[in-house]
Amino acid sequence: MSETTATAAPSFLAHHFESLEKQTHAARLGMWLFLATEILLFTALFTGYAVYRYLFTPDFQAASRDLATWIGLVNTLVLVTSSFTVAMGYGRAVRGDGKGTRALFLVSVLLALVFLGFKVVEYSHHFHAGELPGRLYVSTRLQGPGAPIFYALYFLITGLHAVHVVVGMTILAVIGLRAGRGAYTREYHVPVELAGLYWHLVDLIWIFVFPLIYLI
Amino acid sequence: MNPSPASELQGYNPRNYLNSPATGLKSWLTTLDHKRIGVMFLVAVTVAFALGGFFALLIRLELLTPGPTIVDAMTYNRLFTLHGVVMIFLFMIPAIPSAFGNFLLPIMLGAKDVAFPRLNLLSFYLYLAGASVALYGMVHGGADTGWTFYTPYSTTTTTKVVPILLGAFIIGFSSILTGLNFIVTTHTMRAPGMTWNRLPLFVWSIYATAVIQILATPVLGMTLLLVAIEHAFGWGIFDPARGGDPVLFQHFFWFYSHPAVYIMILPAMAVMSEVVCAFSRKNIFGYKAVAYSSLGIAFVGFFTWGHHLFTSGQSTLTGGVFGVLSMFVGIFTAIKVFNWTATLYRGSISFTTPFAYFVGFLFFLVFGGMTGIALATMSLDVHWHDTYFVVAHFHFIMVGATLMAFLAALHYWLPKITGRMYPESWGLVAAVMVVLGFNFTFIPQFLLGNEGMPRRYFSYPERFWALNVASTAGASVLAIGLVIVLVYLLVAIRWGPVAGANPWGSRGFEWDTPSPPPPENYETTPVYTHGPHEYHEDPEPPRHAAPEPKHV
Amino acid sequence: MAGPGAATPVEHAHASHVARYAIVWIALLALTFATWGLSRFHIPGGWGVAVALGIATAKSALVALFFMHLWDQRGANRLVLVTSLVFVALLVGLTLSDSATRFPLSNPPGSEGALPVGPTDYGGPPPVPPRDRGLTP
Repeated sequence: MSETTATAAPSFLAHHFESLEKQTHAARLGMWLFLATEILLFTALFTGYAVYRYLFTPDFQAASRDLATWIGLVNTLVLVTSSFTVAMGYGRAVRGDGKGTRALFLVSVLLALVFLGFKVVEYSHHFHAGELPGRLYVSTRLQGPGAPIFYALYFLITGLHAVHVVVGMTILAVIGLRAGRGAYTREYHVPVELAGLYWHLVDLIWIFVFPLIYLI
Repeated sequence: MNPSPASELQGYNPRNYLNSPATGLKSWLTTLDHKRIGVMFLVAVTVAFALGGFFALLIRLELLTPGPTIVDAMTYNRLFTLHGVVMIFLFMIPAIPSAFGNFLLPIMLGAKDVAFPRLNLLSFYLYLAGASVALYGMVHGGADTGWTFYTPYSTTTTTKVVPILLGAFIIGFSSILTGLNFIVTTHTMRAPGMTWNRLPLFVWSIYATAVIQILATPVLGMTLLLVAIEHAFGWGIFDPARGGDPVLFQHFFWFYSHPAVYIMILPAMAVMSEVVCAFSRKNIFGYKAVAYSSLGIAFVGFFTWGHHLFTSGQSTLTGGVFGVLSMFVGIFTAIKVFNWTATLYRGSISFTTPFAYFVGFLFFLVFGGMTGIALATMSLDVHWHDTYFVVAHFHFIMVGATLMAFLAALHYWLPKITGRMYPESWGLVAAVMVVLGFNFTFIPQFLLGNEGMPRRYFSYPERFWALNVASTAGASVLAIGLVIVLVYLLVAIRWGPVAGANPWGSRGFEWDTPSPPPPENYETTPVYTHGPHEYHEDPEPPRHAAPEPKHV
Repeated sequence: MAGPGAATPVEHAHASHVARYAIVWIALLALTFATWGLSRFHIPGGWGVAVALGIATAKSALVALFFMHLWDQRGANRLVLVTSLVFVALLVGLTLSDSATRFPLSNPPGSEGALPVGPTDYGGPPPVPPRDRGLTP
C-alpha cells in the first residue's frame, strides 16, 4: 500500500492509521471531543452565574453596570479579529504558505496580548476598588449580598478564560513558528487546523461571556 | 487473519507484546502499545481495589459492635470517605475501560492500536499522578466529608480535603483522555467490513461509556475545583452565610456523579454481553436492542441527577421531574437483561468461572436495579435516604454487578492477555465464596436501612447489632474469596498451563489472534464479512481475506 | 480514490475561503456592535437576556460553521458540538428551574422572596444573647 506514493505523506502517516485521510479525520474528531469537554467545563460556571443572577438580579445588574463596558466591547472586537486572522492563517497553510501562516498567527498572538493587557487593567481596577470575591469584598459602592458573589463568578469565568487565552496563544506561537520553518505542507497541515480550532473555541466562549457579564 | 500456521496458534505465541519489541522497565514505562498500557492499568486498579477493600474491612470491623470498636468517630469518618474515594475514582471508574477496554478495543476492531497512543500513555500517567496526590492527602489524615464532599462542611473542614479533591481532578483528565481515544478509535479505525452493526457489543458499551466520560467529567472537574477554591480562599459560592447555595454544589456534583455510575455499569454490561455469548455458544438475542440500549443508558442517565437531592431542599417540582426521568433509565437495563436471558435459552451452556460470575451479575443487577427504581420514587426515598438501604442498593450494583463483571473479565480474558489458563476448580470455589459472601454482606444492609439505620454512623442502637454482625461476617467471606482469586491468578500467570489462541472456542473477534497477541495485533488488516459470536453448525468460509496482493 | 498523500478534493475549494472569512469577520464585528448598542436600551426583564443570547448564538454559529469549518465537514464533528450544547442546556436549564421553583425561603438570604439579610449573614458579628430576666424556673 505504501509503495504507490512517493510524496512526503508517508512521513506524516502514523503506522497504525491506514490512510492520511483517516488520520486527519481522527485528529479533527479528537480535537472536537476535547473542545466539547472545554465547553462542559465552562458550563458549570455559567450555570452558577445563571442561578445567582436569578437569585440576586438587582445586585448583579448593578455590578454589571459598574464594569467598564467599553473594555469588554474592545476586547470582544479584538478577540473576534484574532479569530479572523487565525482563520486566514489556516487558509495560508492550505496553500502550503508556511511563512504566511506564521505571520498571521503572530498577529493573532499580538491581538491576544492586547486582550490580556486590557484584562490586567480591569483586574487591577477591581483590586484597588476592593471589588473582590466573597469575604475579600471590601468595596463600598455596592452593598447588596449579591455583589461578592458576582465578583466571585466574574473572576472565575474571566480568569479561567484568560488561562485558556494564554494556552491558546502559546499553541499558536509554537505552531506558527513551526509553520514558518516549513514543518507543514499543502497535503498535511493538521496541527495548524487543530491550533485554529482551539483558538476559535476561546473566542466562542468570550462571545457568550461578553453579553452575559457586561451587557445584561 | 494472521497467515501464521495453525501450530503457532495452538501454543504460546513466542513473539508477543510482553517480550516485543523490547523488554525491561523503560520499555514498559515509555510504551505506546495499548496492550501494555492496559496491563499497567490492570495492575494499578487492582492495587487500588486492595486499598479500598482494606478500608472497607476496617469499616466492617468497626461496625461489629455498637459504640466504638477499633476507631473513634473522627477516624471512622475518614475511613468511609477514603473507602469511597479510592473505590470510585481509583477503581470503579477506570477498571474495566482503562484496563480491558484498552487491551481489547483495537483488537476487536481489527486495528493495530488506539487512535492516539501517546494520549493513552498520558492517561496512565495522569492516573498515577492523581492517585499519588490523593494518597498524599490520605497519608496526612485524609478527608472526613464523605466521598460526596457536600458543602458547606467540605469547604470548612480542617482535614486534608484539598489534596483529595485535586487528586480526583487529575484522575478526571485520565478518564477524559481514555474516553476521547475510544470514541475516535471506534469511529476511524474499524477494519474493512466492520460496520457499526457488526461491532462486538463490548465495543458498543465501551463507546457509550466514553461518551459519558467526555461530557460529564469536566463538570466534576470544575465542581471539585470550586470546592478547593472555596476551601482555600473563602469565595462563598456555596456558603450560605455569604449568599451561596449549598444545594447548588449538589446539583453540580451529581450532574457528573450520576452519569458516573453508568460509567461504572456500562463496561460491566460490555463484558457480560461477550461472556454470555461465548459460554452459551450462541449469538446475542436482539443485537440492535442491546447495542442501542447502551447509548440510551448513556443519554438518559444525564437527566436523572436530582434523585440524589430529593431531601436536600430542591423544589418539589424538580424532584418530581427527576423522579419520573429516573424511571426511564431502568427500561434500557431491562432490555439488556431480557436479551441476555433470551440468549441463554437453547444455548449450549458451559458453566465455567466467567459464566458463574455472569449468573451472579444477572441476579444482583436485577435486584440492585429494582431497588434503584424504588429509591427513585420520591415518597419512598424520603424514608430511605441516607440509610443503609441506599448503601446496599449501590453496593449491589457496584460490587454485585461491576465487580463480578471485572472478575468475569479477568477469568475470560486471562488466556488472551497472558497466554496461560487459571485453575477452573479453584475459580468456581472462589466464585461461590464471593457470591455467598456478597449476599451475607449486603442483604442485611437492606434490612438495616429499612429499619432506619443511618449511613456514615460509626455507632448504632443495639437492635441493629445482629444484622451488622451478619454483614461483617459476610464481608470476611467475600474478602477471603477475593484473596483466593488473587492468589491463584498470580500463580496461573507465572506457572499456569499454556492456553493457546482460543481455549474457550469463542467466536469473539479478539480470539482470532495468538495468545498473547503480537505487538501489532494483526500482521495484515483483517476483513470482516459478518459480526462476532456466529456459532453455526456449517463450516464457515474464512472470515479474513488472504494477504492483500501488492499493487504495481 | 487517490493515494494517501494526495489532498482531498474539498481542499481545493479553499481558494474561495478568504472572501468567506472576511465576510464572516465583518458580520461578527457588526453583531458585536449590535449587541452592545441594544444593551444601552436596557430591554426589560427576560427579553434583554433573550436578545443578548440570541445575538451571541448567531455569532458563535458563524464562528463554528465557517471559521471552524463545520459547514463543509463530516457529520461526526457537528454531532459532537450539538450534543455538547444539548447538555449545556440541560445543566443550566434544570438547575435554574430548581432555584426558580423552590419554596422561596430555602433560597439564600437576601435573594428574591427569601429571608432578608440577617445580622450574622455575610460575615456579620453574632448577636448578643438576651439578658436573663430571672423568669426561668
